[in-house]
Parts: sequence; structure tokens; C-alpha cells
Amino acid sequence: MTLETLLFKEINIFPELFLGISIVYLTLHSTFISINKHYILIQNSLVSLGVLILLLVCYLLLNNQLDLLNVTNFNNSIVNDYFSFSTKLIICFLSLSCLLMIQQYLADQKLNHFEYVILLLFSILGLFILISSNDLLTAYLAIELQSLSFYVLAAFKKNSTFSIESGIKYFILGSFSSCLFLLGSSLLYGLTGTINFEDFKDLFLWFFQSNTVLTTLNFDVTLILMAMMFILISLFFKLAIAPFHVWAPDVYEGSPSASTFFFSVVPKLSIFVLLFRLFYFSFYSFFDYWRYFVVIFLVFTVIVGSFGGLEQRKLKSLLVYSSISHMGYSLIAFTTGTFEGIQILFSYLIIYSFSGLCVWSIFMLTRLKNNYKNKQNKDLTDLVLLGKSNKMLAIFFTTVLFSIAGFPPMIGFIVKITVFLSAIEASMYFVALLSILGSVIATFYYIRIVKILFFEKLLIGKLYYPINTSKSILVVLLFFLFLFLFINPTLLFLFSYKLTLISLPM
Amino acid sequence: MLYSKNLLTYILVLPLIGSFCLVFVPSSNRLLLKSIALNFSCWTFILSLFLWLFFDKSIGTFQFVNKFMWIPLLNINFTIGVDGISLFFILLTTLLIPICLLASWNSIQINLKLFLLSFLIMEFFLIGVFCILDLFLFYIFFESVLIPMFLIIGIWGSRERKIRAAYFFFLYTLLGSVLMLLAILYIYYQVGTTDYEVLLTFSFSEFEQKIMWLAFFASFATKIPMVPVHLWLPEAHVEAPTAGSVILAGVLLKLGTYGFIRFSFPLFPEGCFYFAPLVYAISSVGIVYTSFTAIRQTDFKRIIAYTSVAHMNLVMLGLFSFNNIGLEGAILQSLSHGFVASALFLIIGVVYERYHTRMVKYYGGLVHTMPLYVIIFLFFTMSNIGLPGTGSFVGEFLILTGSFKVNTTVTFIGATGMIIGGCYSLWLYNRIAYGNLKTQYFQKYLDLNKREFLMFLPLILGTLVMGLYPEVFLNSIHFSVNLLVELMYF
Repeated sequence: MTLETLLFKEINIFPELFLGISIVYLTLHSTFISINKHYILIQNSLVSLGVLILLLVCYLLLNNQLDLLNVTNFNNSIVNDYFSFSTKLIICFLSLSCLLMIQQYLADQKLNHFEYVILLLFSILGLFILISSNDLLTAYLAIELQSLSFYVLAAFKKNSTFSIESGIKYFILGSFSSCLFLLGSSLLYGLTGTINFEDFKDLFLWFFQSNTVLTTLNFDVTLILMAMMFILISLFFKLAIAPFHVWAPDVYEGSPSASTFFFSVVPKLSIFVLLFRLFYFSFYSFFDYWRYFVVIFLVFTVIVGSFGGLEQRKLKSLLVYSSISHMGYSLIAFTTGTFEGIQILFSYLIIYSFSGLCVWSIFMLTRLKNNYKNKQNKDLTDLVLLGKSNKMLAIFFTTVLFSIAGFPPMIGFIVKITVFLSAIEASMYFVALLSILGSVIATFYYIRIVKILFFEKLLIGKLYYPINTSKSILVVLLFFLFLFLFINPTLLFLFSYKLTLISLPM
Repeated sequence: MLYSKNLLTYILVLPLIGSFCLVFVPSSNRLLLKSIALNFSCWTFILSLFLWLFFDKSIGTFQFVNKFMWIPLLNINFTIGVDGISLFFILLTTLLIPICLLASWNSIQINLKLFLLSFLIMEFFLIGVFCILDLFLFYIFFESVLIPMFLIIGIWGSRERKIRAAYFFFLYTLLGSVLMLLAILYIYYQVGTTDYEVLLTFSFSEFEQKIMWLAFFASFATKIPMVPVHLWLPEAHVEAPTAGSVILAGVLLKLGTYGFIRFSFPLFPEGCFYFAPLVYAISSVGIVYTSFTAIRQTDFKRIIAYTSVAHMNLVMLGLFSFNNIGLEGAILQSLSHGFVASALFLIIGVVYERYHTRMVKYYGGLVHTMPLYVIIFLFFTMSNIGLPGTGSFVGEFLILTGSFKVNTTVTFIGATGMIIGGCYSLWLYNRIAYGNLKTQYFQKYLDLNKREFLMFLPLILGTLVMGLYPEVFLNSIHFSVNLLVELMYF
């Protein structure tokens, strides 16, 4: 191997390397400078530095754009292809806007310790490695890096019992699910002697194609299935799929809103990437086995997500249930097992993340003007005056809510429809009917927010601080993105088409 | 023909351009806002009159067809075109929107800009529903109408009950139409496209037709509305502002009949024939039941709301007679109901704007002080009953003739409904117009002003023309209906 090829290979993990090194540098910078009295405003500068780092990571990602290449590093344990490139880019953009939006909130809530931004960057690094992980151990380590940062982010508000409680809950359940992942991995390793995704694929493909070797190899299919189920369940824990969703409302409601913003918008996409790599790449031979488990889970999820949100009076817990039901719809596309299904899954996830970004940005931007600033969990009725005091923001909020509810003239409708279409193509008529009815029920709690925004004639309520220019520009850009994507949804579909076309080995 | 090829596209986008202009006008400049909206809607109406002028009456296929790419990846394209069936629905929409804006000229105090915006956007959606030739986009337009209407009922409604009414309206219609959505997805999966003219060439199996007809029926029956799911209509009508009620009765209810004619009939003829007795039963129950309900209402608007349910169910009888006469009668009756019901809601709006009550018992003897108002009220009461010389008479006559060929019993029940219709309309008119003036409730009286008279004028003229010389309207409908019947029986 010549030096050139070596460099060429290693350059693919350059964004991650850069991110890691800059985190280390940021830690040193803030540790040694924050004790200096001249740098009181270390936190603000740190957020800007974080945004800068993410922008540079974006640049580095774009720089080594891989269209058709598939490069592996570190003894085949990290893979970089167009798939990971584009999902990383999306995650980078999402976390960048997230950082910009939460800046003011951190200052308001007195969360302006430098650790916050560094932990966020750590979790982004974990997500990046998770996306390009190609064996179980790397995936496990990446999940741990990401979740450990998340536990601390959840418990970051030290003077709030809710925050501490949610951090501990998240930690216990998260580590439990990580244990399940580890158990599944070790079972797989014991049975097959490998932890690499590609090896799994070759092994199982070959195993199913030639029945003659079956006796000599002595595979226990039920044990493999069990290991697969462990891994699946542990990942479903992270996604808050229905029987394993119970931690999500508590944790999301208790932890500081900035952390909740990050938890609910950014990591879902990367966990779906891992799910895709595992279950469409490695374990695709067992498709008929794992499919039914997932279908049962998704039906549960859609029902829980639709009915659970009905009685919520807090905006945050309502959004949690909304995200639970959306994970259910994504799983519909996931279980179809077709090329179109995966394409639709990723277009759905992209739109889900963007609309989540919009809703949470609005949540962050409506800063209550009251005496006790520590009140972070907004009641739905706090939004009563938004329709009168900031009409454009209210209209934007309405548009996004209708889009999330999957109501016709919005982009959310089109992606949701393609999900149902994929379900019908896979002859899951009952699932399609059930989830479509679920989405109607879920509409009820979205339009309740619209009712609160516009229909109340009250003149008493809480007022909001005005929004500054840079943030309103960001919000307007997001709004136009929404409108544009409806007028020309082909762009989105082409993107996800390319994304799946290149990554699919089938 | 050549220069008018893009005419339909202009009509479709003109309200959108108008709403775009409205965004840049400051909301304090109320007169400018109102005049921009009125101008744009009037120009849309004038352009749609040209559409009628250039419409070739001797062919029944689609004209002014234009095709734009939308999602080529999913093979869904934005195709628009008109035929004789949809032409008059478009005209009705574009006529009623300026009238609505005139009707709410002074009565809308809060959020005027949002009100005008939602009306113009709703006009875009409604014209889109009637001229789109793609099933998937039809669903998008069909559902999108809900959002502006939901906002109109919720924001500018009069009482606290409006929220309940808005929810009723939204969720009933949504629940009905998601079933249609599943059927549309199934059609897309089977055919591979949702282009209307391609779908016409495809024939589904009998079982598929029945199931999908039911799914479509769930959606359209909620819109019409037919009996078990008609509950949203009185609520929504009573709580909506005048303009909202006008557009609801005038155009939104016709989305159901239009959907039946356009999609259920040619795509699932087997389903139509199979379920025709069901429709007969539900409609005849609906006609008699809602007519009797209308008699015992105390709310002015509720009475008119129930009469529109009865009339729309009569239209359903005409549709499901499956012959030329019945179908043409149904379309004509839809149009005439669009004129008459909206005029009656405007009449309510006129007195509501003055006295802020809709209870019938507070009114009486208006003939002494508001003669012009009472004359117009009499005219529309008579056309609501179906007096010869008005459009309703022609429509109902054609419907009953058509359904007489198919089912005599149902025709009899439908005709009974007309008689009960005479009862409630005349009784209502009596209570409002005649008797003593109730000066203990109202002291000041004011007859129609110029603006109010102007908004009634086109409706009166239209109703009269439709009654005296219906061929003006019918000669554009003939060939399209003929083609439709041929498609059903081929």
C-alpha cells in the first residue's frame, strides 16, 4: 500500500477526526480561559465556536463527497459511502440550527457552563461514528458515546429535581438497553465468530442459499433470532418505540428544553441508519422472521402515539407523543422490505427531522415574559396570545403543525402518503388502515394547538420577548423550505432515491 | 381557441397572486386590503365568464387542458381541464367569492388580512378541486379546503360554541376522507398513475369496485351531507360568519356531488348500481327527516342549514337515477341550490349584521320597514320551495322525472320532501316578514343599502335565467353528461 492510497483511505474519516480534535481543543480552551476574569462570556463564544466547528465539518464532508465509492477503514470497522455522507450532512445541519436556536435559552436558564456545548459536540461525534460504523463493537461504542453525553445533558440543570430525575431515568433505562445490545452482540459473536456487518451478510446469505451445509455448521437459528431481537429491542429503546417508550415522556419533559430539542430531533436519523445497516444489510436473510416483530411494535406505537397525546396539556409531552407516533410511521416504511420502502423511510425521516426542528425552534423562540424564568415547561395555554402578538410566527406554527399532522397541502402529507403507499404495496392493508385512523386521531391534538393560537378571544395571557433578526431569518428560511418542498417534492424524493440506490447491496 | 388555451391556468393562479399581494399590504390599511381582494376575485369571475364564452358546447370531453410536471418520480402530474360538468361549479365558486367579500365588508373587525387571505386561498383550492384531472391532487385540493374553512369558523365565528363546530366540521370530514385516501392509494398501486383520463380506461374487478365505492362514499357523503353524518353541517353553519356559511352552502357541499359525478360514477359503475338502493334509502330518510327537523328549529340559520341538507339529498336521488335527465337535473339543482342557499344565508347575514341575533322569535313584521329586503326574501323563499320560473323548479322537476323512471317510491318520498319544504319555508317567511313589528326588541330599522342590493342582484338574475331559460346552462352540460352515461353503461 503506497502512501497515496493510505492517505486517500484515511481522509474519509477526516470530519470525525477534526470534530474530535476540536472538542479536545475546546475543552482545553474553556478550562484554561474560563478561570480568567477577562473572559466571562466564555459560553457565548463557545456556542459560536461550536457552530463554526460544525460548519467546518460540513465543509469537510462536502469536500470528500463520495458518489459511488464505498471506503472502509480500520480493518473494515468503519465504512464511508454516499449514505453516511448525506445523513451526516443532514445531522450536521440539524445540530447547527439546534445550537443557534438554544443559545438564548442556555443564557436564560443559567445553563451557560462550557460543558454543555462540549457534551453536545461529543454526542454529535458519537452520532457520526454510529452512522459509519460497520461492526457491532464500533456501533456499541458510538451508541455509548452518544448516550452518555445525553444522560449528562438530561441532568444538566443541577438545581431542578425534575432534570436530575430525568437524567437518572434516562441513564438507568439507557444503560439497560445498551446491555441488551451488548448481550445480542456477544450471542452473535459466540454463534458466528464475527462482529462485522459484511461478514454477517455473507455468512447468512450463504447459509440460506445452500441447505446442504446446514448440518455441518450447527447454527441455531432461534439463538440468532434471539440475538437479533435483543439488538432490535435495544435500538427500539433508543427510538422510544411503543412498549419501550415509557421513559420518553418523563425524560423529555424533565430535562432542560434545549436537551429535549436535541434528543428529539437529531439522533433518530442515525439510529435508523444503524437499523438499516443491520437489518437490511446483515440480517436481510432473516427478513421474514424479524418483520413480524416490527409490525407488532409499530402498530402498538401508532396507537400509543395517537391516543397518548390526546390528554397532554404540556407542549413538550405532546411533542413527545407526536414523535412516538412518527417513529411508528417510519417503521411502516421500514418493514416493507422493498427498495421503495427504504427510500420512503429516509424521505420521511428527513421531513420529520425538519419539521421537528421547526416546532422546537418555535418552542425555543417563544420566551415567556414572566418573573420566574425557571419555568421551562410551557403549558399549551401559554400560547394563547401568540396569535395576537406575533401573527407570522403563529401562522408558521400552524403550517408546521398541519404538516406534522400530515394534512394535505403540506410536505408532511406527501411523505406520509408515500409511507401508506409503501404499506399497501407490501399488502399490509390492515396496518395502513389502522395507522391512517391513528393519524386522524392524532390530528385532534395538533389542531388543539391551532385552536389555542387563533380561536381564543382572551386578552389575558403571557407575553413573549421579541425575536432577534438572525433567528427570524433562520425561521423564515425554514418556512420557505417547507413551502418549496411542497411545490417541488421531487427534490426530496430524488435525494432519498440516490441515497438508497447507492447503499443498497441487494 | 388557441389564445384561450391557458385561460384556466390564469383563473387558477389569479387568487393566489391576489393573496400574495395581500401579504405586503399593512393590516392597518383596511380599505386597500378589501379592495385588492375584491378586485382579484372579481377579475377571476370575469375571466371565468370568458371561460364559459370560449367553452365549446358541442363536445363533451375536457377542454383548456394543461399539464405540468409535479412529481415525475411517482408519476403524479398537475393536469387541469374543464368539461360541461365542472364548468358551472367553477363559475359558481368565482361568483360567490366576491359576494362573500362584499357580505363581510363591514362585519369583519378582527384579523381582516387573515380573513381575506383565507378566502382567496380557499378560492384557489376550490377552483383547483373542480378543474384538476388527477385523483391524488384532487384529494389534496379536496382536503386543503378544510384548513381555511376551519380557520374561518374558528376565528370569526360568533359564539363560544364555534370551537366545537370547527372541530365537528374538521374531524367529520377528515375521518370520511381518509378512507377515500386509502382507496386512492390502492388505485395508484393498481394502475400506477392517478391521471383521470388513464383511470377511465382501467376497469376494476367487481369486488374492488364495491369496496372502493364505499370508501369514496364515506368521504363524499360526509360532504353532501347524508343522514348519519350530517351533524356537522348545522353546527358549522350556525357558528360560521355569514361569508363562511355562504361558501359552505354554496360550494363546499357541492364538492360531494361533484366527486360522485366525477369519480365514483365513471370509475366504479358496478359499485354505483349495487349500492344505489342504499343511497335511495339514506337520501329519502334524509329528505323527510331533515325537512321535519327544519320545521321545529328556532334558529334562523339552522332552518336554512337543514333545508340545504334536504335539497342536497334530493340531488343525490337525481344522481343515482343514472340517466341523462336525472344527472342534468342534479347538476342544475346543485347550481340553483348554490344560488338560493347562499342568498338565504346572505339574507340572514343582513339582519344579523343589524341586530346580532338569529333567533326567529325576535323578528316580525319586517315588511313594514324593510320592503326591499322582504321582496328579495320572498323571491328566494319561493325559489327554495321550487316555484316555477326559478332554477330550483327546473332542477327538481328534472330530478324527479329522472328518478321516476327508476324508482317510483323514492320519487314519491322526494316529492313529499318538496311539500314539507313549502311548509317550513313559508312558515319561516311568515314569522319573519309578516305580523306586527316587535318594537320591544328592535327600534331602528334600515332597508338594504346599495352594497347589499348589489350582492343579491347576480343571484336573483342567475336564478331567474336558470328558471326561465335553463337551456343557457343545460346546453353546455348535455354532451358531458351523455359521455358520462355512456361510460357507465358501456
